[in-house]
Amino acid sequence: MEEKLRGYSLVVLSFSGLLLAGIVVSFALGRFPIGPLELFTALGDKFGELLAALTNGKIPATPGDGVTDQMRTILFNVRLPRILLACMVGCCLAAAGAAYQGVFQNPMAAPDILGASSGAATGAAFAILLQLGARMVMVFAFAASLVTIGLVMLVSRAARGNRVLRIILAGIMISSLCNAATSFIKLVADPNDILPAITYWMMGSLAKTKAESVAFAAVPMAAGLLPLLLLRWRINLLTLSDDEAKTMGVNTGLVRGAVIVCATLVTAASVSVSGLIGWVGLVVPHLIRRLVGNNYRHLLPASMLGGALFLLAVDNVSRNLLSTEIPIGILTSAVGAPFFIWLITRKKEAI
Amino acid sequence: MGVEVRGLSFAYGARRVLEDIDFEARDGELLAVLGPNGAGKSTLFNCVLGLLKPERGEIRIGGEALRAISPRALARRIAYVPQSHAPTFNYSVFDMALMGTTAHVGGFSVPGAAQAKLAEDALAHVGISHLRARGFMQISGGERQLSLIARALAQQARILIMDEPTANLDYGNRLRLMLRVKELAGEGYTVIQSTHDPDHAFLFADRVLALNAGRVAAAGPPREAVTEALIESLYGVRVRLAETRRGNVRCEPVLTENNMKSIERKL
Repeated sequence: MEEKLRGYSLVVLSFSGLLLAGIVVSFALGRFPIGPLELFTALGDKFGELLAALTNGKIPATPGDGVTDQMRTILFNVRLPRILLACMVGCCLAAAGAAYQGVFQNPMAAPDILGASSGAATGAAFAILLQLGARMVMVFAFAASLVTIGLVMLVSRAARGNRVLRIILAGIMISSLCNAATSFIKLVADPNDILPAITYWMMGSLAKTKAESVAFAAVPMAAGLLPLLLLRWRINLLTLSDDEAKTMGVNTGLVRGAVIVCATLVTAASVSVSGLIGWVGLVVPHLIRRLVGNNYRHLLPASMLGGALFLLAVDNVSRNLLSTEIPIGILTSAVGAPFFIWLITRKKEAI
Repeated sequence: MGVEVRGLSFAYGARRVLEDIDFEARDGELLAVLGPNGAGKSTLFNCVLGLLKPERGEIRIGGEALRAISPRALARRIAYVPQSHAPTFNYSVFDMALMGTTAHVGGFSVPGAAQAKLAEDALAHVGISHLRARGFMQISGGERQLSLIARALAQQARILIMDEPTANLDYGNRLRLMLRVKELAGEGYTVIQSTHDPDHAFLFADRVLALNAGRVAAAGPPREAVTEALIESLYGVRVRLAETRRGNVRCEPVLTENNMKSIERKL
């Protein structure tokens, strides 16, 4: 226990440090060159402005030299939202994956296990087909994702048998229906501009991130993450048999329902702004399990940090590796799958 | 006051599982529940644990009606020790014990120093403090059973319901585990455990409750309740009960040719 606890403090400290450093480095990385001096001046200016605003001008802002307006726009209107969104989406997908793994007693559960992603894809494809614009794509994806999970819950309620199995089976069925709908939309879509747009959305990308996407996702993400964090100890008991958990005083139906709703909410919010980004919700929690153990008290916060760090790093590769941007979903799969194989084939066992 | 059950009946749909069960287990008493597979032992336990709602009858825990006690309050009085099984995730022995304290922790919080102490004390109580950092899957079956008992102790319940705690254990671990359980009863815990071994009932139980097809077949101190006729009617096996030189009663199957045939017919 002490060993794992020390591991936890170490992981939280080092991941926080890396994340902070990663954020600063991400500001500097990009096609438009911004040197370290300009970067720190611009960041300092922003901090000064904030301080001035907070103190009602008692501490006046004193902008430094050498930062052009163009640099400022790129840093704060293009790169900042993207950095924030990469961290938020990574954090949410990892948290949702870890939470689903617990409540479904299934180490292989991922955020899309119940069809949240398939539903979002159908909604997004439909909005792209109707050429409703970027904002509506986001809204449609989010709404469709929640409707899908609602359907999954209704079907699973009507079905008979083991409750966990029922939900997972209903998820597979409804996802399959959504995939059929998405395929149909792709079939009728204009192959010159609409079909590529749909395909590109499904690859998952943060390239079109605006401040608006950050604001749109932030509320449902916060609303889902907070209860997950508060309930994290009780997720441990849901990984045991229901009878055991009940005799230890846990209202299993209520807690499991709340965790599913919250995990779904943050998944839907993530997918609606980023498209389909796979593997984060599976690989990150599993790596963190090796580092801090299976206790959700430590696992959940550490997974959130790890997810943010992972997606920020991958997004930097996605926008800087080639002259054209690589959709991040392709990269997470390319990195995630081999990484997972390494994780499960390592000698030291115990998942 | 322990556990008191009066006129308990339970049915799964049309299938009657328990019919008019009466029994009680007092403080500091080890009650062994005997009965063949399907006699209703698990159903009875689930009713007493509040997991199943009885159709008729009354269950009183510490003198108070079970249906008037909230699940959380119930968890502080009565704990369940399941047969050890592989959990989905490999928790440390300490974390397993700590889970027992959940009924003492607010719905949105995590166990604190007081709960950690309860878990430590529980591990020390059953003598497995040295295993605290080990994974639950990396310890022996007997140690796993002990750590599940530690979890029940950390729950701070005074009534322990154990589902065949010695199943899957080797001869030595069976004995060691039963001695620990007997010690707990000596300290005032009420222990209700199902067992398949009549010898265990004679060696360790204060009282026996024998179930057959959902009804009470016999109840009372082992030497009075457990007879050769009872065992034959429960398990379809003729046995001879003999007093050993040390004053214990041993149960020995009668392996004459005639009897072997009648045992095989029941298979």
